[in-house]
Amino acid sequence: MRLLVIEDERKVADFVARGLRAERFAVDVAYDGGSGWDMASVCDYDLVILDLMLPGLGGAEILRRLRRAKKEAAVLILTARDSTAQKVEHFEAGADDYLTKPFAFAELLVRVKALLRRGPASRASVLRVGDLELDRLSRQVRRAGKKIDLTSKEYALLEYLAANAGRVLSRTMIIEHVWDQSFEGLTNIVDVYVRHLRGKVDDPHPRKLIRTVRGAGYCVSDEAEP
Amino acid sequence: MNTRSLRFRLIMWYAGLLTGVFLLCGATMCQALRHYLKESLAESLLRRTQQIAASLLAGVEKTGEPFVADEIKARYAPENYDRFVRLSRRDGTVIYASGRAATFDPAGLPPAAGKDSPRIALLADGNRLLIVAEEYRTPSGREYLIESGGPMQPIDTVLSHLLFLLLLGVPVVVLVAVGGGYILVGQALAPVVQIARSAEQITLHNLDGQLPLAPTGDELEQLSLALNRMISRLREAFEQNRRFLADASHELRTPLTALRGELESAVEQARPLPDLRDKVGSALEEVDRLAKIVQTLFAISRLDAGEAQQEWRRFDLGSLAAGTADQMSLLAEDKGISVNCNVEQEASVEGDRARIKQVVVNLLDNAIKYTPPGGSIHLNVRARGGKAILEVVDTGIGIPAGALPHVFDRFFRVDKARSREIGGAGLGLAIVKSICTAHGGRVGVESAEGRGSRFTVELPLAQPARTKTNI
Repeated sequence: MRLLVIEDERKVADFVARGLRAERFAVDVAYDGGSGWDMASVCDYDLVILDLMLPGLGGAEILRRLRRAKKEAAVLILTARDSTAQKVEHFEAGADDYLTKPFAFAELLVRVKALLRRGPASRASVLRVGDLELDRLSRQVRRAGKKIDLTSKEYALLEYLAANAGRVLSRTMIIEHVWDQSFEGLTNIVDVYVRHLRGKVDDPHPRKLIRTVRGAGYCVSDEAEP
Repeated sequence: MNTRSLRFRLIMWYAGLLTGVFLLCGATMCQALRHYLKESLAESLLRRTQQIAASLLAGVEKTGEPFVADEIKARYAPENYDRFVRLSRRDGTVIYASGRAATFDPAGLPPAAGKDSPRIALLADGNRLLIVAEEYRTPSGREYLIESGGPMQPIDTVLSHLLFLLLLGVPVVVLVAVGGGYILVGQALAPVVQIARSAEQITLHNLDGQLPLAPTGDELEQLSLALNRMISRLREAFEQNRRFLADASHELRTPLTALRGELESAVEQARPLPDLRDKVGSALEEVDRLAKIVQTLFAISRLDAGEAQQEWRRFDLGSLAAGTADQMSLLAEDKGISVNCNVEQEASVEGDRARIKQVVVNLLDNAIKYTPPGGSIHLNVRARGGKAILEVVDTGIGIPAGALPHVFDRFFRVDKARSREIGGAGLGLAIVKSICTAHGGRVGVESAEGRGSRFTVELPLAQPARTKTNI
């Protein structure tokens, strides 16, 4: 899988590239619109991560040219503006997804993987993390064979965490996925639900599956704590 | 009636001045008339005494005093003309005195005390008599005093008639003037009322409005021109402020992205160093907070610019509130607070549902944060007078009266230490206000410190069953 990052902020471009390389992607970086367009027009990329505010050739123009040239690459737009009107405009121009700065790298990764259909979320009907089992059809949860009763929100939260097992999910991602964006800025609701979930899922067992990663968010994992 | 209104005060001044002027004129007029009538009476009385002196007393030494007395009685018959005449010697001996006249009885009038003229004497029957006295000395040296009198009563009658007319007329005239003035002043002030009404409709979101101009060339046109220029300046200032907010929050996003990315990779690399990882994690938490502030500021600037009308649709505020309260119930339960949702009736509003939901979320979140365990929160929704009303009432710590006017200001916090502990940046209520205003509504707060707060959101009700033709 070959990716192109077009972003004029070197630091942002570099940490995105570094993080994606660590996930075993082949990543090229362009620091301005002109060279970004040159690279995108010559090579066939699977995904272009495109900043909108670029010196010289703008991101919107690159997107338009890519689509006119019938390039197959998926396009993930990075922007500092996030008005709904602009979102609609860019989706119409052919963007596949949209991420507002500042974003957590985990969020970028989830979206990149979704776009490349390598899927972050397993589509299997039964999710397994250690001895935890989630049946997505009947929405039943068992741990070590014992049934656990969860409210629908608790279930939605656990499913989201388990589907991304091993990955740290930020509170913002959890809120947008499990609640909706009206709850943005209300991160303590995540903490309260996670605490309740722990009470039901982890407390009766010596091996803890739900982990807090300070500053980053929450993660469900069967690996031992580092 | 508003007693402080310009109209009322002008009319009161007007009526007061008018009454004063009338009273002064009336008093002067009465005084002048009284003086004139008295003078002319005195004048005619004086002529009578001079006549008596010239025609009768001149020959008293030849004719004798009784003859003179008889002549006066025969010639002048003062009683018939409602007059009084008395002739006396210098020593006070009365030679002749007229008797009872038609309107007065001079009996018992004390003897003349000398030439004190003209004077007013009070009679035993209560009438007042104006008396003019004239001295006469015969060639042989005999001295007489002739007194002639007339009643004051006709003068008093005329004056009291005049006074009566004045007392009756002045209030009527003043009342008519006040009525006319009320209408005139009202007409003159109508443009002011118009200006005030238009100014009332000009808000932060509607600064494009201009005040109506009446091309009259008067002071009111000057006023509207000046106000319109002020509105333009305000618009510029707000626009600058808003643009600054938008630009600042925009410019902060990119460095924040870089900062967050670097810190995240530092967390990864610091795995074997739990202490360092904790510190970087703490820094990441601050970055998160910063990012949230920037995002909210950006949202406020967009709302203030009126850019929030993208997803405008109609929905029921009651079910939105109930649903949101349900979603947040665990937060309240966790603190041992009960949340009671009371939706009186359907209240359809039009707007951005996600934004209005954010209003409910922020108000409920605040209520939960500032209500101690065991308290209760009431969420009420009803429709009244064309408005959908949402109330969030808590039994929390309340807000001190001095802080109440500022709770909707950006970055305002009642108790900075306490809020930081809870984790607010002081923007939650600011965005609530921006959202409400952008929807043509308003938000208010009442609070009693230590007893709780009541936040009230008013939004315009959607027109019932409207046919959408112009969207």
